[in-house]
Amino acid sequence: MAVCGLLAALPLSYPASAEAVGQRKDEKKGDVAVVVHPKVPVDDLRMGELQKFLLGDRQYWDSGKTRVTLLIRAPVAHERDVVLKKIYRMTEAQFRQYWIGKVFRAEASSGPKIVYSNESATELVSSLPGSIAFVEVSQVPKGIKILKIDGKAPGDKGYPLQ
Amino acid sequence: VRRLLPLLLVLSVGLCVTACPVWAQDAPKAPVASSQVKCPKCNHENRASAKFCVSCGAALNPANCPRCQAGISPDDKFCSQCGLDLAKGKAPVDGVTEPARGTQDPAIVEPHYPSLSVGGFGDTTFSGTGRGTSRYFNIGQQVLHFTSALGPKTHAFAELSFTPRSDAGTGTPPATGFNAEVERAIVRLDHSDQLKFSFGRYHTPINWWNTAFHHGLWLQTSISRPEMARFGGQFIPVHFIGALIEGALPTGMLNLNYNVGIGNGRGNVVSRGGDAGDANSELAWLVNLFARPEQVYGLQIGGSVYQDKIVLPNGGPQYRETILSGHLVLQKETPEVIAEYAHVDHKQVGGPTLKSEGYYVQVAYRLPGLYRTLKPYFRYEKMGIPTGEPIFTGVPCLRGSLFGVRYDIADYVAFKAEYRDFRRRPGPSITGWFGQVSYAF
Repeated sequence: MAVCGLLAALPLSYPASAEAVGQRKDEKKGDVAVVVHPKVPVDDLRMGELQKFLLGDRQYWDSGKTRVTLLIRAPVAHERDVVLKKIYRMTEAQFRQYWIGKVFRAEASSGPKIVYSNESATELVSSLPGSIAFVEVSQVPKGIKILKIDGKAPGDKGYPLQ
Repeated sequence: VRRLLPLLLVLSVGLCVTACPVWAQDAPKAPVASSQVKCPKCNHENRASAKFCVSCGAALNPANCPRCQAGISPDDKFCSQCGLDLAKGKAPVDGVTEPARGTQDPAIVEPHYPSLSVGGFGDTTFSGTGRGTSRYFNIGQQVLHFTSALGPKTHAFAELSFTPRSDAGTGTPPATGFNAEVERAIVRLDHSDQLKFSFGRYHTPINWWNTAFHHGLWLQTSISRPEMARFGGQFIPVHFIGALIEGALPTGMLNLNYNVGIGNGRGNVVSRGGDAGDANSELAWLVNLFARPEQVYGLQIGGSVYQDKIVLPNGGPQYRETILSGHLVLQKETPEVIAEYAHVDHKQVGGPTLKSEGYYVQVAYRLPGLYRTLKPYFRYEKMGIPTGEPIFTGVPCLRGSLFGVRYDIADYVAFKAEYRDFRRRPGPSITGWFGQVSYAF
């Protein structure tokens, strides 16, 4: 009985996360655009290639000339939820554990950089060579380079980062 | 009502610390009080709707909290929804440093060199009662790892472990309480994703568990490591001192990667690498290939070859050691599958070849919904060592299984409970319960 009581008292779920609490179902969010520094030498990526970059399995653009800098929104942002769900296919806890393991195996010196607003993301992408960020398409200023994913741009039917 | 409801809910369950930012996300944005916005850089008064200063071009304050996106007023010192210290850029709720409001300083994100960061792992293990075990607590290895980018394409990594000694306080001079060890020391120079050079002391990349988890017990699902890759084990050379070339091969969606290495093989003590030099004149070499096909997310399949020369001490016979190994890993948690096999040949120069082999299969599954902090697991393993094996003197023939559950108490703390039933020859066999708290910091 004591064991049962103890089990009943255990917090079986993590502290509330965006995924757990859920965003309002009726709130329509736009596609998430993949924005990159203007000199990034690609215009279109396969989803598998994008996953390699985000997983840290590929760390350079154009045969090693430019290092990839990953910029990801802080927790609870819509863009982060989409990136974790559609690209990493991980929960917040799995994402943290993944990068601790990656650094521990000496395969990367650090995880993605955290940005706290879409304005910061687009500003940093414009100034940091090799950077890549994820911003809701309606908040991408003019002049920012947006990548196609699997040949589809944000707004196209079947665009994967919705 | 919509503004107050989240706050009331949070207060009512006493979870303000962790839940506030999430609830706050749905809070309606408060209007910006001022009709004009002052530029933080040149103090020019801009229209309230302006995003950039018309005088100097600097980005103006966002009307939203940079953390939870709730509306903020220019005079606010703290976010009314998540408590972020807007003026100092500190997050009182979880200690994560965040920038002051306004656009993010690129210096925070831009790489700087060297950029040392320190992490670590620790654990405390409880051994329960049963055949072959006694009841005790054991503070496990405390591990620190240091990583630093030395330049855009250069990295350094070091790992130190502190292992408790059972002979602490005995001897002259008295033995210390913990044994310090340099587990890894690596410097890596990247040419590209396809070609990376590194030098130092590694976890030998011929066994997946050995390189993926090793001292990070919090990273692995189970309490114990498979016998073939256990700490201080002899079956595979756990450490490798030398040079590696690694990278990705241009194989498209197959995503094939390689490691090629040359270095000191086993030391005079078979379970250790030759840190101060090879135990004989012939270096060891290894080739490791693994694929992470895009078609099956999380899958890794690979195999490796390792060869070394072993000379037994005191003028004993010489052996050619060849290890062939393979692994199949599904790194998702629903399910997680890890299977490895290794075959070790010890061919005596001018004599017979002794063949040993071992394998294990581990399956785990992260439960859904409210039970997602729980991850039950099961492992079966077997090792066969021929009688009279002269090099594997401390390696048992083993067959057995274990099952357990991992409970993630918090983001970086896990509790694991495990039942083992292993038959070993020579003994002792092990049957009993074990518990462990492991953590990362």
